[in-house]
Amino acid sequence: MLPDATETRPIEGVGAFVLRLRGLILKELRQTFRDKRMIGLLMIAPMIQLLVLGHAVNLDVDHVPTLLADEDRTAESRAYLDGLTAGDAFRRVGVVDSAQVALSEVSAGRVPLAVVVPRGFAADLGAQRPTRVQVLVDGGDSNRAIVAQNAVATYTLRRSQALIAARGLPAGAALAPVRIETRVFYNPSMNSRIYFVPGVAATLLLVVTLVVTAMGLAREKESGTLEQILVTPLGGATLFLGKTLPYALIGLIDLGLVLGVGTWVFSVPLRGPLGVVFFAGGLYLMTLLGVGLLIGALARTQQQALVAAFFLIMPAILLSGFATPVENMPTWLEPVTRLNPVRPFVEVMRGVLLRGAGARDLAPQLVTLAGMGLVVFSGAAAVLRRRLG
Amino acid sequence: MPSEPETVVDVRGLTRRFGAFVAVNDVSFSVTRGEIFGYLGANGAGKSTTIRMLCGLLAPTDGRATVAGADIAREPGRVKRSIGYMSQKFSLYADLTVAENLDFYASAYALSGRLRAARMDEALELAGLADRRDALTRELPGGLRQRLALASALLHRPPVLFLDEPTAGVDPLARRAFWRVIRELARGGTTLFVTTHHLDEAELCHRVGMMVDGRLVALDTPAGLKATHVPGTMLSVGTGAGGEAGTRAVMAALAGMPGVHGWQPFGLRVHVRVDPELAGPGRLAARLAERGVATADVEATEAGLEDVFLALVRR
Repeated sequence: MLPDATETRPIEGVGAFVLRLRGLILKELRQTFRDKRMIGLLMIAPMIQLLVLGHAVNLDVDHVPTLLADEDRTAESRAYLDGLTAGDAFRRVGVVDSAQVALSEVSAGRVPLAVVVPRGFAADLGAQRPTRVQVLVDGGDSNRAIVAQNAVATYTLRRSQALIAARGLPAGAALAPVRIETRVFYNPSMNSRIYFVPGVAATLLLVVTLVVTAMGLAREKESGTLEQILVTPLGGATLFLGKTLPYALIGLIDLGLVLGVGTWVFSVPLRGPLGVVFFAGGLYLMTLLGVGLLIGALARTQQQALVAAFFLIMPAILLSGFATPVENMPTWLEPVTRLNPVRPFVEVMRGVLLRGAGARDLAPQLVTLAGMGLVVFSGAAAVLRRRLG
Repeated sequence: MPSEPETVVDVRGLTRRFGAFVAVNDVSFSVTRGEIFGYLGANGAGKSTTIRMLCGLLAPTDGRATVAGADIAREPGRVKRSIGYMSQKFSLYADLTVAENLDFYASAYALSGRLRAARMDEALELAGLADRRDALTRELPGGLRQRLALASALLHRPPVLFLDEPTAGVDPLARRAFWRVIRELARGGTTLFVTTHHLDEAELCHRVGMMVDGRLVALDTPAGLKATHVPGTMLSVGTGAGGEAGTRAVMAALAGMPGVHGWQPFGLRVHVRVDPELAGPGRLAARLAERGVATADVEATEAGLEDVFLALVRR
């Protein structure tokens, strides 16, 4: 019954490699999904996050509470103010009759926006003199302030053009010297969710894969099982592939789920070839998994791995152009953002989904992703071999 | 060479430095086929570093070693195919079942087909877990985990088995059963290299090497070690109700007494190594009484490897 030492049969070659790799992948998947909560964390949590974040991250100006100050109290001034609050952009919270009151309300922060029609508004219009309205904005929320201000200006311009046309006058240069005409491409309703969903997807992939691979390797180190693997003939290449392939697969499945939620719930268009998204996703995952294994190889404990992963994840997200445009960052940060794999991947996602761009249009981003993937992946393999082999 | 024992592990001048610290310092020894070689020493004496080098996990700074004919520095892959390794952590996956653990290690050793199935059945049998193959490893008691770890390390039937503190955290009954298996393996021709700090386990080894501060300071059979390093007759002195104070009084009285080689406390008794003329009945008690120390009883005892170890450390 006991083994005797006479029989040793080393089985080598490609067959052994496949056998070992399959054994390792099976083990990784069994461990990952042994705990049912992990299925939730890896598969369902990203979708829930996308649902929550997709709704939360919204830069559209909608129903801004607006105080109206009508000093003129004429049919013309009322028509102007009624028109302003007829749409969805502004919500009338009250009408006062003095600019003074409006100013104090905005200064006190009780209302974010006030529009004042001064005395003489109707008289000026009747005499065909230029007239003006005043917009008081709380700049605390600078984004909303700018958008609201622009919305008032656009409305006013449209209204003055309508008045000119109604009086049969030509749209003269003196009356409307500058005509701003904006055409919005790809996202005509300026729905910022459509813009954000690809970014949220990229960052979710980052969090899931980086943390899982880094923690997985660190856990094997902590429990001594890594040492046990290393005394078997299972080589470094097998170990590396076995530790990345299962998570690449999970990552690609997550990408598919997130894209599904994005199109179904947020009506993100799928204008371009999906193959390009998944190809870019594969390259992106190579970088993430490589970094994850590097962290796992260098960390002594799971806690260290977790902290290190978060130190990388935070700047990677913030410097990706996911929420704030990279163009708005200081120039010295520009090279740093170029080292960030999230940036080209977000660009590919937006390009394919929103613009219908193909591989040719996105070649620079794809080349960047491929380069990063190869460098990080082979670097991680080398470090793993040196540190553990 | 039918009578010449076959050398399976051969170590020459093996050295490992970590910066300025010399963990293993110029160690040489060899182990023959079917031998149980015990490797003894305090924590940090260099036991684990030696074993890690011999398993191909750590490159030596200097010196060389072969395991089952393969050079550990040049052919670590060949070394890994012919060894089994089990550490004190019983490195199994706690969140996998018994069968899943064996399945993984069978793959790692590239066992396939009927050979794989047969070896896995044998391993379950050896671990005594044939009826609990679907139990989570985490839920097994320490003794069973240890046997499963051993069975996993033997799946590929390695000619050499390295055991690093294999009985840490295991109850005495399981330890005894474990050593029965070890001895049976050795009879079957497996060469065993065992580190331990249980000195009673070292007594079960064919030969024992003692490590102190990275050096191999002694290497012999347990009996040979005792004869060389703790000569003389061993007496055990009890002080009855004297307690710790009584023990201290005995040791104070022994200082400078002619015919006494050495002593050390052993629980509430004192073990004293003496010349034969002091070993007769009542003699040591009488001499202690002369110095004003009352003893309850003095009986002959056997020197243990612990006495050897303490003598070596003190030297």
